[in-house]
Amino acid sequence: MTEDEDGVRAEFIAEAQEIIELLSRDLLVLDHGQKEGHPDPDLINSVFRGVHTLKGIAGMFGFYDLGEVAHGLEDLLDQLRLGRVELSQEVLDVLFEGVEVLQRLLASAPDAPRPDLGAFHRRIQSQLGGPAPPPPDLAAFGLDTGVLSVLTEYEEHRLRTNIDQGVPLYRLRVRYALSSIDTDLEDLKSRAKPIAEIITYLPSMDGGDDDSIELEVLFASRATVRELRNALALPDEAELEAVAKVAPSATIPPPARAPTQQPASPPTRFPPPPSGLAPPAPGHDGGADALSLRAVAKTVRVDIGKLDHLMNVVGELGIVKSSVGKVLDRLRGVPELRALAAELHRIHRGFERHLDDLQDGILDVRMVPLGQTFDRLARAVRQVAREHGKEVRLAVSGADTEVDKLIVEELTDPLLHLIRNAIDHGIETPDERERLGKSRVGTLALNAYQKGNHVVIEIEDDGAGMDEERIVSSAVARGAITAEGGAELARSDKLALIFLAGVSTAEHVSDLSGRGVGMDVVKTHIARLGGVVDVHSQPAVGTKFTITLPITLAIISALIVRAAGRTYCIPLTVVQEALLLDPREVRTVEGREVITLRGATLPICRIARLFDLETPAEARVKEYVVVTSLGQRRVGIVVEGLEGQEDIIIKPLGPSLRSVRGFAGATDLGDQRVVLVLDAPSLLEEVFAATAATEARGARGEASA
Amino acid sequence: MSGGPIQRRETVVPAPLGRAKGRAERMGEQTREFLAFALAGERFALPLASVREILKLSPITEVPRAPRDVLGILSVRGRITTVIDLRRRLRLPHGEVTRGARVLLVDAGVEVLGLLVDEVFQVYRLSPDEIELAAVVAGDLSDYVYGIGRPGAVERGAAADEIMILLDPVPLLRR
Repeated sequence: MTEDEDGVRAEFIAEAQEIIELLSRDLLVLDHGQKEGHPDPDLINSVFRGVHTLKGIAGMFGFYDLGEVAHGLEDLLDQLRLGRVELSQEVLDVLFEGVEVLQRLLASAPDAPRPDLGAFHRRIQSQLGGPAPPPPDLAAFGLDTGVLSVLTEYEEHRLRTNIDQGVPLYRLRVRYALSSIDTDLEDLKSRAKPIAEIITYLPSMDGGDDDSIELEVLFASRATVRELRNALALPDEAELEAVAKVAPSATIPPPARAPTQQPASPPTRFPPPPSGLAPPAPGHDGGADALSLRAVAKTVRVDIGKLDHLMNVVGELGIVKSSVGKVLDRLRGVPELRALAAELHRIHRGFERHLDDLQDGILDVRMVPLGQTFDRLARAVRQVAREHGKEVRLAVSGADTEVDKLIVEELTDPLLHLIRNAIDHGIETPDERERLGKSRVGTLALNAYQKGNHVVIEIEDDGAGMDEERIVSSAVARGAITAEGGAELARSDKLALIFLAGVSTAEHVSDLSGRGVGMDVVKTHIARLGGVVDVHSQPAVGTKFTITLPITLAIISALIVRAAGRTYCIPLTVVQEALLLDPREVRTVEGREVITLRGATLPICRIARLFDLETPAEARVKEYVVVTSLGQRRVGIVVEGLEGQEDIIIKPLGPSLRSVRGFAGATDLGDQRVVLVLDAPSLLEEVFAATAATEARGARGEASA
Repeated sequence: MSGGPIQRRETVVPAPLGRAKGRAERMGEQTREFLAFALAGERFALPLASVREILKLSPITEVPRAPRDVLGILSVRGRITTVIDLRRRLRLPHGEVTRGARVLLVDAGVEVLGLLVDEVFQVYRLSPDEIELAAVVAGDLSDYVYGIGRPGAVERGAAADEIMILLDPVPLLRR
């Protein structure tokens, strides 16, 4: 495959991926609506359009299998939106399966063997409805034939449905400037959405000039004229009137026949359109396609590598900025150049401001809402719950919380894992729940929110919870801790044992407690993103995992410190405070140094000892403790000096240093000064592991004594 | 020509496919240009095509816990680059860093690494009869030794002081 073809293929895949994700999102909402008993017809139509577009581009790019599946789904959706097939859980199952199939096809290699899609097509066929609908009988509705003759099949269906349900019809005549009609229409649609259903809109004959166009909008709503005027924020000159009383029983000849008598109603507002403004042919929703094209044109897909490059350039500009600052300082020292220095100072300040804006802008582009990930999870919840015969209600909050794109991508797997565990092992079967006096439907809550420089994601179930004693005994069985050590652990520490590699890889834990398979993997994943995961659980009540992540990986504020005669950066996101170390405060517990900070014990670690470095003798005049915390753990890092705070770009160390633990990367502080950035989560981990090991050794020693 | 600028090469050495073929390409079977440098009083050379750039020595940041032969890291136009102590890698005696010391940026396939050397000499263009392949010289040489270069061997016999050890960068920098 040539490079060009690769590019085209990648472009298609990206676009198709977007469409499929949107489909999946809409289907989930539909699923919810169906369960509540009122699926949104607009959404069915939106899903239909999405599949239609997908079919089109798949054909264009030679993804024939994918196109065929999309075609099958389109047939089913077409019947759904026209009301010929009822939206049922079975139909939704097929549609969800369709999304999975599409995704699988998209992910498969270009030269992979063609999958057998026969079974899936048969399932689609089995859902397809039967006979054509009864002939339309709309004409006598105070609607003139001009309108009726140009309605698409779908619009006609919606009109009929509304009439059948006794929803009054309205006609709106409103003028929009040609230059802004797109946004005006979108605005009208979104305002109408909560209280009215727009059935169709057409340009009116008698009211167009060079700069503006008059639209006739037909819609159904139970609201009054006054309410509609307010809700739609109509300009005063817009005309809004009820079309006619709805008479569902009226027998009316179909529109194809000659126009019958009109009720005494306003003059004809829907003349047959001139050929130049021909509306879309029935059955082909051209208007909708045009709209989706517009939506696409407003966004640009960007390779994240390009953003990284821009970020690098920003970093270099930052170095330029500090060099200019130094020149400025030198100029200031020369009396006859004062004026020049002042001018340069102003320019420098401006440059700094714009550079900050640029940096914020690039960071902002990298941010995506967690919603995309949550949608994927919601699909998994539905699937896993059905597989295991559980009834699960998913409660999502904070889907609009934004996180760095890279983090979002790495987050899906660990979250999926936690969710699967929660449904598989946490939430009981409906019968079991009933017996326990719980509601038959289990609840899985997915909450996200921002907390300072971090994003917190919680996964909480109201299932069986975890039994910490069983976790401890299996950890003891694996030799990860001693029985005595285990007995002394606090409750939360016992639960945290599920994250130990030695324990969690043991099938025993998952057998006994129902959790643990791959929990260490979840933890490693999260740690790689600079985050931590904590667990709370109560037997019979439920389990809650809390993941704390930095918002972005690209640029961080860091504390610059001197330790062991060297300079290091500590990400400010983990720094709680820094204070002067009083050497008299240091106590030794089990061979570890600790201090007491506001009544709580704080383990401290010395960089020199941690990294096995020789400290220059003169360095140790004063020492500071930088209190770092992640989740619920705190460690004080002892340093010799605090040099200030700076925004830094973390750059990865090369492959040959990948196995070196303890550093998140390095950064350029200018002056050719490369400084290592401490990897706080891994260092915290290390200090705690060492503490735990000491305790375990201590416990063993006592036991043998 | 010590210290003089040598033209920067952007040529990327292709990752070795079959070992024999990859090596032949790396070692420049066609051009046979080698950059000679000094290390612990001995003369070594790397294929010119693998050398991206020659840097003057700038402060190198030490990386705790790194493998012993890693000197540290430095920034090459914003890119963090690992610098290897070639003396350590070649198990040569330790020595002071001198004024002539340079860092060669060498493309090792997966990564561009910096190699600290004592002094950079010049580029040699060697004909096939000026190269003794390692396999011919002795069977038990390290795999990173490609052969022995003897410039001028054809015309005037081997001048002992110009003998150089030709290194193959990929096995040399593989861990």
